[in-house]
Amino acid sequence: MNYFQLFGLEIQFTIDLDKLSTIYQTLQKKVHPDRFAHGSNQEQMLAVKKSTLINDAYQTLKKPLKRAQYLLELRGISMPNEQASFGDVSFLMHQMELREMLDEVKHADDVDAAVFDASQVFEAEFQQLFNQLQSQLAENTPDSNSLACDNLRKLKFYQKLNLELDKLEELLLDG
Amino acid sequence: MALLQIAEPGQSTVPHAHRLAAGIDLGTTNSLIASVKSGLAETIVDDNGADILPSVVSYQSKGILVGHDAKALAVSDPENTIVSAKRLIGRSKADITTKYASLPYVFSGDENHPSIATRTGEVNPVQVSAEILKTLVKRAELSLGGELTGVVITVPAYFDDAQRHSTKDAAKLAGVNVLRLLNEPTAAAVAYGLDTEHQGKQEGVVAVYDLGGGTFDISILRLNKGVFEVLATGGDSALGGDDFDGMLVEHLINKAGLVRPLSASMERQLTQQACFAKEQLSNSDSVEISLTLANDETWTSSFTRVEFEQLIAPLVKKTLRACRRAVKDAELEISDIIEVVMVGGSTRVPLVRQEVEDFFKRQPLTSIDPDKVVALGAAIQADILAGNKPDSDILLLDVIPLSLGLETMGGLVEKVISRNTTIPVAKAQEFTTFKDGQTAMALHVLQGERELVDDCRSLARFELRGIPAMTAGAAHIRVTFKVDADGLLEVSAMEKSTGVESSITVKPSFGLEADEITNMLKDSMVNAEQDMQVRMLKEQQVEASQVIESIQAALLADSALLNAAEISKIDSAISALKQISQTGNADEVEAAIAILNNSTATFAERRMDSSIRTALSGHSVDEV
Repeated sequence: MNYFQLFGLEIQFTIDLDKLSTIYQTLQKKVHPDRFAHGSNQEQMLAVKKSTLINDAYQTLKKPLKRAQYLLELRGISMPNEQASFGDVSFLMHQMELREMLDEVKHADDVDAAVFDASQVFEAEFQQLFNQLQSQLAENTPDSNSLACDNLRKLKFYQKLNLELDKLEELLLDG
Repeated sequence: MALLQIAEPGQSTVPHAHRLAAGIDLGTTNSLIASVKSGLAETIVDDNGADILPSVVSYQSKGILVGHDAKALAVSDPENTIVSAKRLIGRSKADITTKYASLPYVFSGDENHPSIATRTGEVNPVQVSAEILKTLVKRAELSLGGELTGVVITVPAYFDDAQRHSTKDAAKLAGVNVLRLLNEPTAAAVAYGLDTEHQGKQEGVVAVYDLGGGTFDISILRLNKGVFEVLATGGDSALGGDDFDGMLVEHLINKAGLVRPLSASMERQLTQQACFAKEQLSNSDSVEISLTLANDETWTSSFTRVEFEQLIAPLVKKTLRACRRAVKDAELEISDIIEVVMVGGSTRVPLVRQEVEDFFKRQPLTSIDPDKVVALGAAIQADILAGNKPDSDILLLDVIPLSLGLETMGGLVEKVISRNTTIPVAKAQEFTTFKDGQTAMALHVLQGERELVDDCRSLARFELRGIPAMTAGAAHIRVTFKVDADGLLEVSAMEKSTGVESSITVKPSFGLEADEITNMLKDSMVNAEQDMQVRMLKEQQVEASQVIESIQAALLADSALLNAAEISKIDSAISALKQISQTGNADEVEAAIAILNNSTATFAERRMDSSIRTALSGHSVDEV
């Protein structure tokens, strides 16, 4: 049983997040170890196992990039690992520019404004790629899935950029 | 019309006696025990009508004193009177001596298992905590009129794995069955019953700000129809009211012209005066402080609330930084939070209340006594976990507070499970060998957010041996981290490329080994060997009756999932177990339980899967 089936959902990228969360809570109410705290050791162990599985499924389906990767894996396409070379040179060049932009945030006169500007740029470009990913996954042909896989790799670059931006912001606020 | 009784898996259809259960707030400064009586959670009082038990244990030659009697000796006999043991639990000796330089104790024991030398011998923080637990449980059993089935013990949400393991060890040592370790802020949220139409709001996000004697937690929870989902948690497991006292002590030392090192009893006197002044300043603008100096002269001075607030302001700011990070981790804005709950005695300090109100831009809830709220919440959860409320809709979904990872090349930490992941959780990661022909691999388990090993908490080190010799990078070593519903970690490693499995399970190096606990238990009993046997047999008998009861209830509800042969196999295993638990010894009963469990393993799995299917189909019907 895959994660979509476990939650009684259709196997597709677009899902109703409120419904996902409601089903998640309903399932946890059935299997959570707290429901078996007075039961036998066997029941408790089984509850931990099932509850762990449901947590993992929920986390995978809830986060769009994880969900996309999982869906591609179900379709027989596994992501190349992070170190594998990436063919799109112009994309990489652009990433270098964005990294430079991130570096400059630290030295900006108005750091708050610089953080905000950078996040706006990242967000806009992320959204564009994400929209493409959505339609590629909906098309579900060998070609579109392979394009979706490339796009997902690109989106992960933006995810990293955002993480770095978060760290920077935290450092500046704490300092 | 007759109503059908529909049984849920794990919930008995057989009417049973009310199981006695209690919630324990094992605090740094004070501890409490509470229980649900006729539907209401109440703290349980001692002979003098006091519900608060000071978390103080004094080792006297005539016996061990716990609580108020022990606290009375804190100044006159500081070396043998342990206060705030919670600050020491699950910590290394180096950790303790750098963090708390002015403690009066004489430390002994090894680096990872520090203990304190008292006149009656060495005691470790786990043993001290066990004494407090024993006192509370005894009080509850006397008051409730029977033995407790189990307890829920609260821990700071920000406690790391070693501190959680040590707390559970303390319970084992005290001979108490732990139904669950529950995070303090989550317990407080339950006590406030924030799920039940609180001020007309059934759903929404709440923040719990919990500043106790020694620890600070902030938790952000989403409440929805009885489900308490923790979205993010943060804090500092070494920041609390004790630190306010500490700031004031430094101030007094300067003002009175005292020079360290001071006698242990002078240090205790300073701490007590500081704590007294802090409490007075919650209600008045200034306070007189007096000290009896070494030459028996009395030194007095007045101290104002403004001065006090200046001293503690940096600490309060520190808590707000943790609040900001938790809100961000929850991917929310401050305006999304509909309620702020105040927990812990230190939230009585007016500056704390004011700063929290300014930060969250709303007046915090303080309607339940901040000293009792955690114990009351724990009692409610204990009642549910003991099985007294089969219809309860309450479900707590908690998270791990700090990321867990492994050391990799160059002293870096590779995160395996990140902070704020909902528990229970299991994650596996693959690693490989670094050298040709490498047959062993050292694994170092760490907890914390920083990238360098040296900046994280070291939980355990272990070695995986017997890896077949291969070229570098050819072995696939799969390391699995499992965190259970108590937030406790188990790590195992396995080499899988050749099909050769070698795996190992570790407990944190700061915890006590199972046999150490057994030995300590034996030491505490007069007829050690015999008592242990009796105790082990009793534990197995309880487990046997639990197993039988739950299987019989399961058969009653779901025998349709089994064929006749399967049913008769289970029936005969039940009869065998019933027989043996009357006549056998602990090992025999344990073996018979294993046989019965074995014969019902498929049944249990089928039932759980079937309940998942039923839950899902219920949904599609609702939504049509």
